[in-house]
Amino acid sequence: MESVELMETENSEAEQEPPTPEIIIDDILDFKTDKGTIPDPRSVTFTIIGEDHTLGNALRYTIMLNPEVEYCGYSIPHPSEEKLNLRIQTTENITAIEALSKGLEDLRTMCDYIKEKFIKTNLKFDKKASQDEN
Amino acid sequence: MEPYTGTINSGGAKPEIKIDELTSERVKFILTNTDLSMANALRRIMIAEVATIAIDMVEFELNTSVLADEFIAHRLGLIPLDSTEAEKIKYSRECSCQGACKECSVELNLHVKCTEEDTTKDVTSRDLVSNDPRVTPIQDGLKDPGILIAKLRKGQEIKVKCIAKKGVAKEHAKWSPCAAVAFEYDPFNKLRHAHYWIEDDEKKEWPASKNAEKDFPPGDDEVFDFTAKPNRFYFEVETIGSMKPEDIVMNAFKKLLEKISSVQMGLTTNDVNAINREPPREF
Repeated sequence: MESVELMETENSEAEQEPPTPEIIIDDILDFKTDKGTIPDPRSVTFTIIGEDHTLGNALRYTIMLNPEVEYCGYSIPHPSEEKLNLRIQTTENITAIEALSKGLEDLRTMCDYIKEKFIKTNLKFDKKASQDEN
Repeated sequence: MEPYTGTINSGGAKPEIKIDELTSERVKFILTNTDLSMANALRRIMIAEVATIAIDMVEFELNTSVLADEFIAHRLGLIPLDSTEAEKIKYSRECSCQGACKECSVELNLHVKCTEEDTTKDVTSRDLVSNDPRVTPIQDGLKDPGILIAKLRKGQEIKVKCIAKKGVAKEHAKWSPCAAVAFEYDPFNKLRHAHYWIEDDEKKEWPASKNAEKDFPPGDDEVFDFTAKPNRFYFEVETIGSMKPEDIVMNAFKKLLEKISSVQMGLTTNDVNAINREPPREF
């Protein structure tokens, strides 16, 4: 009986649980009031674990479209960490968290819309191609 | 104050997609009226995050060929397997089983021995026997000789058991469904995002790409518009055969929506709202 040798193809030993997306509120600008110093919900840095430029840049774009957002930027602090920092500063009408959820909702609407467009165009294209064949 | 309703609802030009070519191996389309970041997200997902099936573990029972075990294991990993049903297979990390089961893996067996006297025997992807008819090495018709894995001399034998798993190209390129994703915008360089090295004549040394035929050439005395933004994106997605090209695009959209959802979940389940309720810190 031959000995059975177990071998993994390249890189599979590095298989690790990809980090589940979670949001950490990293940095909130404190501001002074007559009651003391309180965290300002209108300028917040979110840290999203497990996301990169793919989502970061598109999300930055949709958040920036909101006229209530004064500033939005993202960065990836280090390429070997699956970590995305998203900074949002808003006007006094909304909080940064509201701006973020609005941005996510907008991105979803946009993505859904383009997806539907693609499905429709694809169906039409198939029809046309088969007609040409006949 | 009028509430902000979002990009799609707020009038203006809406995104459009026009398919120019669709064959079994490639799809060419133009995406218009959207931002570069959106088009780039789509491109990045198609390259690195659309899930496919590929051989991930190889158990060697016998290998008397001239090639080392790890060399053959690597070659097996790169063979495209039909991944049209990849959605129905679980990631092994999400499966409740220990190691590998039918829900999260596919077993492929390979047993070839050379008995020929004068010639070598080719071991190809056609010799792989899958235990799941949905996931087999891709084959382009009956005449397709398959992908060469190794060559055997008389008496040499390979007997292996392969476990194929679902994965994404972010982890290893063998899981990428695309051979290439061509992506271009502004073929006439009207936005001046590219800086060309010129010896004498820009037009001669930098001929326009094929996509320039579908774009709008600049006028002779057109002034540089520094507020212009790219809004016409030319894609060409070429599959390696494991998935239909239009399915790659569709799965990319699905994946992007999934990503948005998981961040939204994180935002609601997390106690991020706590910062609004946090009492003022006294000094």
